[in-house]
Amino acid sequence: MNQLSRRQFIGRSAAGGATLLGLSAFLNACAKSDGKTSSGGSASPLSMQAAWINDAEFMGYFIAMTNGYYAAEGIELNYLSGGPDVIPESSLLSGIAPLALTTPDSTIKAIVDDGAPFVIVGTQYQKNPIGIVSLKKSNINEPKDLIGKTLAVPPVNTITVEAMLKISGVDKSQLTIVPYAYDPTPLIKGEIDASMDFTTNVPYTISQLGEEASSFLLYDFGVTLYNDTVVVTKDALSSQRELIVKWLRASRKGWEENFKDTTKYPAMFADSYFKGTGRTIENEVFFNGAQQPLMESDGGFFSMSDEGIENNLRALSEIGIKGTKEMFDTSLLAEI
Amino acid sequence: MSSSTGSLRRSAGSLLIVVVVWELVGKLELIAGGTFPPLSAIFGRLYDDRADYPQHLAATLRSAGIGFAVGSVIAIGCGILFAQFKMLERIFRGVSITFFAVPLIVLVPVLLLAFQGTMPRIILAIIAVYFPVMVSTLIGVRDIDPRLAEVIRVSGGTDRDVMRFVRLRAALPAIFAGLRVGGPGALLGVMLVEFGGGVRWGLGTYLLGSLGRGEPARLWGIGLLATMIAGISYGVFSWFGAYFLRTNLSTTVSMKASSTTLDSDDRYTGLQRLVLGIASFCTVLVLWSGALRLMNLSPVVARGPVAVVRYLFTGARGADARDRLLSALGETLPLAGIGLMFGLLAAFVLALLLDLFPIVGSAFFPFALISQSMPLPALTPLIVLVFGRSVLATVVVTFSVTFFPSYVTIAQALSSSPQGAIDVAESYGARRLQVLRFIRLPQAIGSLLTAARLAAPRALLGVMIAEYLATGNGLGNLLNESRGKLDYGMIWTVGAVSVTFAVLLTQIISKLERQIGRKFLV
Repeated sequence: MNQLSRRQFIGRSAAGGATLLGLSAFLNACAKSDGKTSSGGSASPLSMQAAWINDAEFMGYFIAMTNGYYAAEGIELNYLSGGPDVIPESSLLSGIAPLALTTPDSTIKAIVDDGAPFVIVGTQYQKNPIGIVSLKKSNINEPKDLIGKTLAVPPVNTITVEAMLKISGVDKSQLTIVPYAYDPTPLIKGEIDASMDFTTNVPYTISQLGEEASSFLLYDFGVTLYNDTVVVTKDALSSQRELIVKWLRASRKGWEENFKDTTKYPAMFADSYFKGTGRTIENEVFFNGAQQPLMESDGGFFSMSDEGIENNLRALSEIGIKGTKEMFDTSLLAEI
Repeated sequence: MSSSTGSLRRSAGSLLIVVVVWELVGKLELIAGGTFPPLSAIFGRLYDDRADYPQHLAATLRSAGIGFAVGSVIAIGCGILFAQFKMLERIFRGVSITFFAVPLIVLVPVLLLAFQGTMPRIILAIIAVYFPVMVSTLIGVRDIDPRLAEVIRVSGGTDRDVMRFVRLRAALPAIFAGLRVGGPGALLGVMLVEFGGGVRWGLGTYLLGSLGRGEPARLWGIGLLATMIAGISYGVFSWFGAYFLRTNLSTTVSMKASSTTLDSDDRYTGLQRLVLGIASFCTVLVLWSGALRLMNLSPVVARGPVAVVRYLFTGARGADARDRLLSALGETLPLAGIGLMFGLLAAFVLALLLDLFPIVGSAFFPFALISQSMPLPALTPLIVLVFGRSVLATVVVTFSVTFFPSYVTIAQALSSSPQGAIDVAESYGARRLQVLRFIRLPQAIGSLLTAARLAAPRALLGVMIAEYLATGNGLGNLLNESRGKLDYGMIWTVGAVSVTFAVLLTQIISKLERQIGRKFLV
């Protein structure tokens, strides 16, 4: 039907190509206008990938940004929030950020299985805040109490729950595991008996909804893992080592400042970092207080003792993930 | 057809009934111990949270608007191009159907790896908009009244003139029908990325932050707001469509029954068809690996087609991966089939009922729209509390995502019965029921397969969503677990396999449709 000449065709195709090019330029412009503009100067830019949306879990970094601790170290920090679909290790691999907060289990598994070029240079939590949260009346106080119950687990924490069951000698078939969709309603209504989540967070919500919560840390039942481990790529470690040390120093300062008064900063950030997150400031204050004992250590924030590293490796070896001490590098912390 | 004020009054009346029933059901805590909140609580909550909304809303609208605009331009351009160069359409058909069939939840993590800032949101919106707008443009431009084209040609006009004066003008109602579907799609796509992607502002972000509070009124407030935006865009484009339909075609009756199929392959020989099919398949693979190469991603994270095959068949953990994949498929596919059947059946019955009792239609519409734009994570507690975490919950979710598009397709077929045929029947004294039985019903049965073809990929998506939100089985769960274990090979495999099955299903139904169509609808 169409008697289109070859020349016409080429002409139109070229026009189409030009349109597409124009489109992608337009899209790039649209996308860029949303990002931060670089201020220039002598500060070195550094991107960090956080593990979740803005909440008290990341207070120290917010404080360090607000109070200029990073700027004082010559770092221009590009802070990237996380979320359920953001895999922090992926941000490292795809070059989005050279530094990320991860779970040690997934990081070490990636190094072992895929030879991922990661190094763990510090840890935010000495004890993983993840635990089993339930209503007090269900009387679930240790992993064995979960036998015959329904436990909701975020699918991304499959490794962690496998470790807990293995270490406490419970078989996976002895309980029902269902996906956890970050909403405590099914727990309150008794549709599930327990959920796996941060013990620093959900118990507050449950109390707000008129129920009494009880919880225990997986850490206290043999799953002796860190959490929010500070992981950098091998590339970054060799080319930006100084910058990473500075980041650790500024971040530590932020956390020290935070724990002088756990109620002070959440309120201060009501109109900035915590604005419109959907969560309440009271919730952040609770979270901030509850996480203090999980983060403090003799060596200072982020420190990793030999014993702590061995504990991590032992817990992981229980579920067949064979990590080594070489995957941790404590020498940067020593330079702070 | 009654006058517009009459139907307006009827809509207002039935909306009132919906509001009262909703309020009562919520107030009396009739569903799942109060997990379904009364409207007053939802709006009260919206009002209390009013300071939170503007920035979220602005961010969502901005990304959805850009994605919608860009997606529409691309889709309309492709539609016109494909209508002119049939070979081009045939070669890119695999790509088109892939965009249509790809479960968006599979794309989110991948887009987040490859792009930063607002790009993942905009791209997902573009993908959501592309197929409905491209297809409706293609059909609108292609299926014109041939007499109009003759007029232009007889007057010495070229093909270009036919395009300009006839095809583009005649296509406007169809294009707007496509845009009408694309709008809510763009919104949902953007919210999906906001929810999962660590985005600072957006309704999806707000939803995620609010999930942990266990306050259904807040979640429903966000959902209703999204529904309202979807409803407004749907209404605006419907109005434009109706306007152009009136001004354009007031005197003409289309000679050709409108079809929603892509071009049929009838004019090709078997061999040509095979070659075209392979070309179309290869285009997808070339674009897939080409895109990865262009984005320069780490080969650990980004797996091309070859890497996926290697992962499954020659890799060290290939056997284990195949086992997990097969058992997941065994769980997911049958449920997708069941959900699809239920969705189609219900849509068919409802479309018939509504044709007989239009008043039910206007009451039903708000619910239909909610089922389309209410984010499923917000509904999960309600679903698991009412239906448990069994097969039933999965079927319900699948039903909810397949029902509406099927209903629209079937209802459209019912209402587009040739007026001439109806006039003939009525002049012989046929009643409403008889018109339905002899004219509209056969038309609707013909549209069932069309509806099935459009709904099949959504059925797969529905099952996968239910699996990762509620039941913890099948492909949906496999995808999610693989993310936790950084099993990138499996992430890409699940993506490729789910798209493959969605495309296969679409193609099989499409073939059936053409064969049956040849028998009945010539």
